[in-house]
Amino acid sequence: MVARTHGLHTPRKARMTRLATMMALLLCATGSLRAEDLAVERVLAWYHLLRPTEKDLAVYRLNWTGSLDEAQQRAAREGRPICLVIIHSKYGDIASGHC
Amino acid sequence: MAELKPFVVTSWFGHRNDKDIPAVIREVWAQKFRPGRPQQATRQSNVDFALLDARGKLVHWFDAVGSTRYGRPNDLITNTLKQIRLGASRIATLRGSSLPKTANLLKLPGAAPGKTGLRVFVRLDDRRMPAYRLPVVEFVSLSARDWESLEWPTTPRTVDASLLKKWLSEVYPPGVMERVDRRTKRVFSITSVSGSLSLTPAVPDVNARYAVASGRVRLGDSGGDDFSFEGDLDLVITYARDNPAVQTVRGVFRGSYPRRDRIRQTTRHIPLEAVFESRPR
Repeated sequence: MVARTHGLHTPRKARMTRLATMMALLLCATGSLRAEDLAVERVLAWYHLLRPTEKDLAVYRLNWTGSLDEAQQRAAREGRPICLVIIHSKYGDIASGHC
Repeated sequence: MAELKPFVVTSWFGHRNDKDIPAVIREVWAQKFRPGRPQQATRQSNVDFALLDARGKLVHWFDAVGSTRYGRPNDLITNTLKQIRLGASRIATLRGSSLPKTANLLKLPGAAPGKTGLRVFVRLDDRRMPAYRLPVVEFVSLSARDWESLEWPTTPRTVDASLLKKWLSEVYPPGVMERVDRRTKRVFSITSVSGSLSLTPAVPDVNARYAVASGRVRLGDSGGDDFSFEGDLDLVITYARDNPAVQTVRGVFRGSYPRRDRIRQTTRHIPLEAVFESRPR
């Protein structure tokens, strides 16, 4: 599940720092490797660079439930309040990030 | 996000003329669309937040955009926080309550027990729209047959990218609504994947063998107007030393999405990134 909020993206400066660090580590670690190995290291460096950080994924720390009914049952069971996002739309299911 | 940690969070979507609208949503909309309600000095959006107590009783609601000014995303954050805090202050169960220890652990979409698949993170790096820069996470369940096209390459070989359509079809921008069927309002889905990947073995280590799949991939949707976008796909695949079956996949898509501005009649090419990781390994 996902909801969208503003301001949690990785800042450009931080991403550039990550990129520089990745590239430095890559160069240090690959001095004697062959082209095929460099390709592996290059792809993995991009994977680690672009994979969202825990901060980017903070919305996945919320206790999402699939329906209002389920939320109400859980809230009653755990004595917790409910935050309900209401979308006035025919297709607005934020259970899928691709709403 | 911390403000929402005590809450059980859920969503609902629908129209005002739907038959089965839950009572609490009727209550919110009855207030929002009340005839004669004074014209607000604020904006009105199609998204509302409702805060309910543990018994499901409506305590507070607000329009997601409210008093936010256009082009001021920080206003949106400030207003949302203010409203959530206001609502939370009215909920008795929040005061002095403690959460279960497992309440707010990071929980990403993933494989069901005994199943495998690929997790896909997608992000549109649109500097004009900060919300789109947050990642969307999808999980695609895959069968043993779905992995076959990436089996160990004894020698370099070419892989047709369309064989990876099951999960590459998740690579499209989150929340960009211009690629929508105007009649049904349904978002167009990715229906065509084309391109060739070179799958090349790399030098193994003591534990595993590796291969890299790389190539240019083009994705088209169901809009019927030949719309498409493309990017570079790079994957690292691992295998056991004695088995050609795929063990793990890690990789990225780095592409460019042509976003059409219907008002200015211009097209901006915005970086579209995706990250792939097999699960459970």
